[in-house]
Amino acid sequence: MAAAAAGSLRRAGWRLWRGRAGLRCQLYPPQRALHASAVLRRASDEQKKEPLASSPQQQFDSPPTDPQPDHEPQGSRPSYTGQGGQESEDYESEEQLQHRILTAALEFVPEHGWTAEAIAEGAKTLGLSVAAAGMFHSDGSELILHFVSQCNTKLSDLLEQEQKLVQLGETEKKPTDQFLRDAVEARLRMLIPYIEKWPQAVSILLLPHNIPSSLNLLTSMIDDIWHYAGDQSTDFNWYTRRAVLTGIYNTTELVMMQDSSPDFEETWRFLENRIADAMNMGNTAKQVQSTGEALAQGLMGAAVTVSNAETNKAVRAELCSVPCLMLACLPS
Amino acid sequence: MAAAGLGPARLFLGRRRGAMRALLGLARGLASGPQTHFGFQNVSEEERREKIYQVFENVAEKYDVMNDSMTLGIHRVWKDILVHKMNPSPGTLLVDVAGGTGDIAFRFINYVHSIRERQLQQKLKRHQNLSWQEISKSYEEEKVKPLGDSQVVVCDINKEMLKVGKQRAQHLGYSEGLSWVLGNAEELPFDDDKFDVYTIAFGIRNVTRIDLALQEAYRVLKPGGRFLCLEFSHVSNPLLSRLYDLYSFQVIPVLGEIIAGDWKSYQYLVESIRRFPPQEELKEMIEDAGFFKVDYQNLSSGIVAIHSGFKL
Repeated sequence: MAAAAAGSLRRAGWRLWRGRAGLRCQLYPPQRALHASAVLRRASDEQKKEPLASSPQQQFDSPPTDPQPDHEPQGSRPSYTGQGGQESEDYESEEQLQHRILTAALEFVPEHGWTAEAIAEGAKTLGLSVAAAGMFHSDGSELILHFVSQCNTKLSDLLEQEQKLVQLGETEKKPTDQFLRDAVEARLRMLIPYIEKWPQAVSILLLPHNIPSSLNLLTSMIDDIWHYAGDQSTDFNWYTRRAVLTGIYNTTELVMMQDSSPDFEETWRFLENRIADAMNMGNTAKQVQSTGEALAQGLMGAAVTVSNAETNKAVRAELCSVPCLMLACLPS
Repeated sequence: MAAAGLGPARLFLGRRRGAMRALLGLARGLASGPQTHFGFQNVSEEERREKIYQVFENVAEKYDVMNDSMTLGIHRVWKDILVHKMNPSPGTLLVDVAGGTGDIAFRFINYVHSIRERQLQQKLKRHQNLSWQEISKSYEEEKVKPLGDSQVVVCDINKEMLKVGKQRAQHLGYSEGLSWVLGNAEELPFDDDKFDVYTIAFGIRNVTRIDLALQEAYRVLKPGGRFLCLEFSHVSNPLLSRLYDLYSFQVIPVLGEIIAGDWKSYQYLVESIRRFPPQEELKEMIEDAGFFKVDYQNLSSGIVAIHSGFKL
């Protein structure tokens, strides 16, 4: 009865593999004990090495994303005590191992590009077989998404630290345009080690099956920047601000990709100009409106004048025609 | 999974024969092993192994021709898809179990060869100003290591199938990175943690104890290694299922008789497909052996499925 119920649960929830793993363990402890994972490290080992194994901001995983990767490592692998008297330990999950492989693969990107080869090399450095790259999509999109998500997390941390310093009173609060400029510059500087292969990455991110995830990451990053810039608007401004900053970010990224000046000076100058334009856009909008109104009034006046002139001409023409008619009538 | 036409009659006879054989088996002693199935018959495990050995001994010569005629050549596409899914990089060690006539092994070699060529070309392109010496050195490197240290070991339990495979390799000109080993999938003659990829294409159906084969697969794979299984599976679409059953039971044994002169072996073949566990069940068996990230991909709407798992 329990077996049947467990069996049906297993079949229903096959994608939520953690749930599956838990049930399986309860039913087949001896088999699992025989096959202790060869690679998945214990969570305790991992925490000693890496303070941040997975970030709560990684939203790009496919649907079977674990909703709380940070809360679940304890329950990720079932603990079992049948292994020669060893204490039951918790193991890292598959997702965490995948993140480790992708992080290791990043250092091979300048050489191999954003491809499955780079992932294979990364897996090799972790002591895994090159076949582990088969866990990921063969076009390297997961690697790029992982990198982008990592950069976004770093940016958030940076902005948060700055905010703390401002709150503690150790630094002055920057004006908005300066803040935006620094934030975008910091974020774009993270691309510098990979800038040669970045065009390839952008093109892969634009593939239809990647667009939802990449758009998600982009919008959350822009939202973060505005949040730390102190934006608290609740009207349509919220949308315009984010749209404008997204435009600035994307265009600056494109400029950066073909910039060959020392330390990308041209790019930062471009960025400065665009932000200044954006700041002036508010004033420009008002100016355009008033000019428009003035223009409209002028046109109206001109129209009235013209129509008056027409009327006058018509009246005068009439007046002129009457005496002519009369003159014409006289001889008869 | 109802068999159409002659199926029920055959089934009935099969059961009768199987029952008699079971009684004889009991009489012979229970040492011959627990009962299992051979097509729609019930036999002991020992007997099943013998019978399957005989089946493949008989069909070895005409195996490839029969594959082409039964599947109308589509088996080539299936095997191509398997190797593409594997996406091997140069330096990969592959063990192809039950790979008798070498189809997967040859495809693997072709794939790795082309990847290696592309790698060398890209390396040349990147270094614009090479001297003639460097260019000739890279061409030499290509000749000396055309596969970049990749190797494939073809393992089969049947000598005849290996013989046919070796002949084909010679005929097609494959010599580098290929080795032929006689071995049982339930007890592989290899050390632990040796291979990057383990494939078994249309072979796991003929293994008597699938769980043992899966455990052996787990043993010989390196950490991070991949298990790939290409096998006939369950068709869920009811209309296609009926057509498929009709084709399997009416056409294939007839083809077997005409082309290979062996009705019974091909009758066994189609029956064994029906007795094989469906996709989800095989997936669970693979997970039980210790593999992670187990997934399957249906080809031709379920006629064939590729199961993949990782040793993590």
